[in-house]
Amino acid sequence: MHLCRSMFRLNVKEEIKIMKKLFRGVSVGLLGCALMFSALTSSAERSVKVLGWGAQSGPLKSFGVNSETALRSAVAEINAAGGVKLGDGSMVPIEVIGYEDSACKKDQNIAILRKTASTTDAIVGMGTTCSGSCQAMFGVLQKKVGDASDSGLQMPILADTCIRPGLAKISEWAFRNVPNEIAMYDALFAWLSQQHPDIKTFSGGTETDQGHSFITHTAVIVQAAIKHGFDWVGPAVPELGPKVKQGMKELQAAAKTQHWLMGDTNYSVQARKIKKQNPDMILVSSHPFSACGFLKEIKRQRVKPKLLVGLTSSASQETLNGCMKEAEGIIIPTGFAPITAQAQKANTIVTKAGGFLDLHSAAAWENAYLVKAAVEAAGITAKSETLAEDRAKFRDALATITAIDGLIGPVTRDTATGEASKPYVFVQVVDGKWKVIHDPRG
Amino acid sequence: MEDFWYEVVEVSQSIADGLLFGSTYALIGIGFTLIFGAMGKLNMAYAAAALGGAYAGLAGFVLIKAPLVLVFGISAIATAALGYAIYFTCFRFIPVNNHLASLMASVGALFFIDEVVVHVTRGSPLTFPSMFGDVYFELGPYGIRGDLVFVFIIGLISTGVLLYILFRTRLGLATRAVAQQDIAARLCGIGVHSTNSVTFAIAGVLGGIAGAMTAAAVGVLSPVMTVPLTVKGIIVAVIGGLGSIPGAIIAGLFVGGFENVILYFRGIDERDMYVVALLFVFLVFRPNGLFGTAITRD
Amino acid sequence: MDYYLNLINTIGIHTLLGLSAYLLLLTGQVSLAQAGFFGIGAYTAAIVTVIFEWSILSAIGAAMLVSGGVAFLVGFPALRVRGLMLVVATLAFSEFARMFFYNLKWRVVRDGAEIGPDGTMGFAEIRYFNNNGWLNWEVTIFLWVFVAVVMALIWWSDQTRIGAVLRAVGEDELAANSTGINVTVVKVAAMTAGGIVAGLAGSLYAHQVTDLDHHTFTVLLATFAIAYPILGGLSNVFGTLIAVLFIQGLLVEGLRFLGDWRMLLFGALIIVAMNIKPLGLFDNQTIRILRKALGVKRQRDSV
Repeated sequence: MHLCRSMFRLNVKEEIKIMKKLFRGVSVGLLGCALMFSALTSSAERSVKVLGWGAQSGPLKSFGVNSETALRSAVAEINAAGGVKLGDGSMVPIEVIGYEDSACKKDQNIAILRKTASTTDAIVGMGTTCSGSCQAMFGVLQKKVGDASDSGLQMPILADTCIRPGLAKISEWAFRNVPNEIAMYDALFAWLSQQHPDIKTFSGGTETDQGHSFITHTAVIVQAAIKHGFDWVGPAVPELGPKVKQGMKELQAAAKTQHWLMGDTNYSVQARKIKKQNPDMILVSSHPFSACGFLKEIKRQRVKPKLLVGLTSSASQETLNGCMKEAEGIIIPTGFAPITAQAQKANTIVTKAGGFLDLHSAAAWENAYLVKAAVEAAGITAKSETLAEDRAKFRDALATITAIDGLIGPVTRDTATGEASKPYVFVQVVDGKWKVIHDPRG
Repeated sequence: MEDFWYEVVEVSQSIADGLLFGSTYALIGIGFTLIFGAMGKLNMAYAAAALGGAYAGLAGFVLIKAPLVLVFGISAIATAALGYAIYFTCFRFIPVNNHLASLMASVGALFFIDEVVVHVTRGSPLTFPSMFGDVYFELGPYGIRGDLVFVFIIGLISTGVLLYILFRTRLGLATRAVAQQDIAARLCGIGVHSTNSVTFAIAGVLGGIAGAMTAAAVGVLSPVMTVPLTVKGIIVAVIGGLGSIPGAIIAGLFVGGFENVILYFRGIDERDMYVVALLFVFLVFRPNGLFGTAITRD
Repeated sequence: MDYYLNLINTIGIHTLLGLSAYLLLLTGQVSLAQAGFFGIGAYTAAIVTVIFEWSILSAIGAAMLVSGGVAFLVGFPALRVRGLMLVVATLAFSEFARMFFYNLKWRVVRDGAEIGPDGTMGFAEIRYFNNNGWLNWEVTIFLWVFVAVVMALIWWSDQTRIGAVLRAVGEDELAANSTGINVTVVKVAAMTAGGIVAGLAGSLYAHQVTDLDHHTFTVLLATFAIAYPILGGLSNVFGTLIAVLFIQGLLVEGLRFLGDWRMLLFGALIIVAMNIKPLGLFDNQTIRILRKALGVKRQRDSV
């Protein structure tokens, strides 16, 4: 036994010696890489630095690609027009010092946020699109500005979307350029009830393992339709017993709603139940893949609703890629369509640069202008010595901004709740393309 | 009383739909079980390769307007090629008795294939053409999807061809010999590596067809399908008995029907929990699966 | 500095996760259940600090207890299956745990706001460290004390009979049985220990990221958990640490400058690593080479 051990096991002291040398070597190597990185990211010329991040790998890759393209294009436009004005009156460019891949994973988002905060001169972090990641990122920030007992990060974040209710109140350092879905769907069903008096009943389904789809369906879309006089049909599902007893209206609606998972491949049971309910209008609160799977199934089962309504996030090219034919006629409220001169110009620029502008990436474009507005209101010096003060000033300025010019109209912000309100239009898939069918903007 | 009959119709419809869809699970399960039977190892990248092949078939459809039969053919060949590449990079050079290293390498292959797909498609879901997509048989209160019947038939045919190859050809003989006792097989002049790579390629052909069929059945292809299909394929292979092809078929159909019935009664929140519970029941009471091992390792 | 501290914390948490699988691999059990225990520890600890508002130490203790308890229960049926079937059974367990978290809803109202796990919406604002003014370096030290203790314990047990017994069961159960080792006790004990360590890792993780949902505790995380000891080799605990440094330090963070090529390289490098070093990055061959390179002489060389 001893002989075997001596052949294959090191003497403990020797192993420890090797370990120490190895660790020293590895940490020196890592430190070297880090120093190189920080040297590369701080440039000599004065500029307002920002760092962006989003999903550039994984199934949500289009988010990151589109947002990066939109951000960089908008920044280029701003710089071409002279840049931003600092506290001392000088005009400097905005510099996007990097755009990282966070893959919509919480750990990676937090790592990039901390990297931006502690190793770069960026005055604001501009990421991300996925609401779950925002929820995690906002949680590591200082909750209330000036709270000395809170050791959270003091770094402003300006996310380009992150649609989920209540995220703004997690931290005062967190900002999102996010559409107000409650307002959008309220307006949509108000309009639909006028346009389509023949439509009385509705039913629908959602993907239950995606936070945004689920909560928007049960708490926003269904409620808005009920509010405007549409009848929710569908048999009660008694086995949801304890949940229904909670008495919350949205849970009762949820009890009758069809459910699937975002990666599901078989929607036959759900489609057949909807077919039995025979509603005039069907809601599909789901992201493109499962929305398309469901839409294809109801078409196969010869379900022919008079109207289809979808989730805001699906007003995108991905839905057309996935089921152009089956999505024909679906109506979705969205925060972007090329209906103004600015929007068309931005659309042309971004498309030429290889991205798409939709309600997610258009927010990234607008954020560049939001940064400009905040910088000019804050009067920062853009020097690395004053980085912490610059960030605090920037945050304060951002918090007081109540309106900017968005691509299709003014974007306003309620300083009390921290939530934004954006103009919206209703789009519909007509002949395989998104077309604006109603423009409720004043 | 009417309600009761209505329920009966609905439940049996769910079972029928599930059974037909289950043939896609069966094919993926066969792929896992084939490789396990041949090498005693798990190829985690199998479902990823199947979907990769489906993407290749879709590329054929989009770029050169290939007819559907050709799309399926391209998928089959692409996954066979991927299967061979996976064998070469994850199994060929790793010692035969080292299961963990091959497992980990095939996980790496899964990540790689998925990421390549994401790169080419930007992660966007893509519409997939379907065979007989508009065919819908209505028999009384029942409705049967024509394309699912087609999928089922193709599944049967593929399995039949596979079984023929395995049990009636020299190649199949070599595969079974290597699976049983590779040293003896080598002594008989059967090249282990060449036989194993052909096994992977054949499993790949099945996988490509399965991937294309699944994509055709859903109508959409997306990288989010990879992990759920991998898990389901492994569960089906295990319930059927690792190494048993008939087992994988029956298990695939059964799991398909079972999960649909559970979905009908208990809803989505509990559906997958019941499938997992089903697996546990098998592992506790019948760890060798439905049919134990037909192709066994010493 | 903050970024590096965060990275060091991540490495520490993943090392614990890897070590929990390492313990099981020693006894020959390839377990994909570690993600499930990790999640159980994470949610338990978060519930203790957020809903019960107890201290972090009680949260960690509770997490280790609950995860260990569940692992103990899992250990018995796990005895009935071996090899690949165990892989599948433990994978199924992790999936079952994940579905449990997907359904878990426990909302309470504190200071006018609703907190607690909310099913698919996740469990937000697990802010114990920040709310109590912990500085980043304090969290890092705190976390790494646990990692160091666990590593030391496993290392120490490897020098004693415990390690020999574990490895004996892993090498050949029949032989171990015939030398009087109670294989059942050893395997269940290893599963329980693995559960405790994974629960510890989860409790630290929950407070590090402040937010949990079922999307984190997937099959892929379970695969990462066994990837670390497989990649690192089973000679000693430092192999797992090296593997975590390799994957989390180099592949995930260090290769960021590659932009979107990073994730492509990820899979490819794992394949390459497993082909070149099928027994792990830190196997005996590596140790021999390192010894030569660093000029550490073995006392026995002169014999």
